[in-house]
Amino acid sequence: MSLISFLFIPLVYFWNPNWMGFFGVQPYWPLFWLLPWSMIHGSLDGLIVGLCLGLILDSISPESSFTQIPGLVLCGIWFGKLDFSSNTIIGHFRYGLICSMASFLCGSLYLFQILIDNLSENSIFLYFPSISNIFAKVFITGLYAPLLCSLLVGFFKRSKGRYKIISLKKN
Amino acid sequence: MVDIQRISTNRWWHKKKNWGLFIFLLFLFFARISKGSLYKDLYFLISKPFWPVQSQREVLTKSVEQEFLIRLNQLEKDNKRLREILSLQRLSDSESISATVISRKTGSWWRQIILNKGSKDGVEVGSFVVGPGGLLGRVDNTSLFTASVTLLTSPESKVGIWVERIKSHGLLVGLGNDYPKVIFYNKDVDVEVGDFVLSSPASTLLPPNIPIGVIQSVDPELKGQKTANLFLIAKPQAIDWVQILKVKI
Repeated sequence: MSLISFLFIPLVYFWNPNWMGFFGVQPYWPLFWLLPWSMIHGSLDGLIVGLCLGLILDSISPESSFTQIPGLVLCGIWFGKLDFSSNTIIGHFRYGLICSMASFLCGSLYLFQILIDNLSENSIFLYFPSISNIFAKVFITGLYAPLLCSLLVGFFKRSKGRYKIISLKKN
Repeated sequence: MVDIQRISTNRWWHKKKNWGLFIFLLFLFFARISKGSLYKDLYFLISKPFWPVQSQREVLTKSVEQEFLIRLNQLEKDNKRLREILSLQRLSDSESISATVISRKTGSWWRQIILNKGSKDGVEVGSFVVGPGGLLGRVDNTSLFTASVTLLTSPESKVGIWVERIKSHGLLVGLGNDYPKVIFYNKDVDVEVGDFVLSSPASTLLPPNIPIGVIQSVDPELKGQKTANLFLIAKPQAIDWVQILKVKI
């Protein structure tokens, strides 16, 4: 079930409810799924799932010149190296902080691609005001992360082992 | 004998998990190749009961009035010029398809709307989309039941415009926020706040003289470029019905 839940991320991405936004900016949905999955299954699975998420989201996003893959792959590897906090309350808020930082990383990498793409046209300064997108996304992603990530951690932990993508242990 | 049996049972295709993974990767490959059309069609079916009702139309009356004002102004001047008359004929020849917005992303970098009409209804990539207020964007790709529209505010959107009052051309560039920039080709243009911006008659992608927006502020000259912020008349975050227009250019 946990791997099947992956297939619902693009549908949430399309749904994109306005009432969940902040200054019209929605949370970065894939991180809510990627963080629990990678923390439970490790960096290698995080990398693969980050890559798959990037492929799917690039397919359904309008901008074909820019990609979300580098950000999600890096986040997948990073999340896989993190441990769960022993304190439940701190653990919840830690998800918020981690997702905010990851959202900043992904947003910065995306903006960087836009700037590189427009470097030759001598108009990169025009894009600086849209940095507000990154900060709005950082805030709103961090706000929802404690609730959504905690729910998904519980869900994934119940099905741990059965759906591990790459197993490095020898039988 | 036992070893051979063990090897044969350890082949990857004997493991259900590997088959699951193989099917999953195949699905990802298909989603990538089809530009997510399977997802868009699935979303079309799921969201169908929740499509907007007509009561929200009143909210858009103001935008429609503004659009009519600009159109009226423009049509008067069009009558005086033979070239503009030819352009109007192109517009009147166009075929329009009414569509409902079933998904919208109007914040952040990814700015698109998805419409409930697709290749089945004759929508083609490159058709342009207008809503109450004027131009919204261009059809980026289509699936069987849906069409994805890249909005003018998207960082990938670049369309030719002209300011009718000063007869000056420029490029409208989406920046990933609600206020796209107009970059003028001539740095000595006398553009003013409040000037109406229309699609350029010189554009090969769009039909001429579709209302787009109003100049909100003019930036100081930077690196020999004159730029201005544009206030779009059509509001993609509020629009529920649009027209998809195929124009012979």
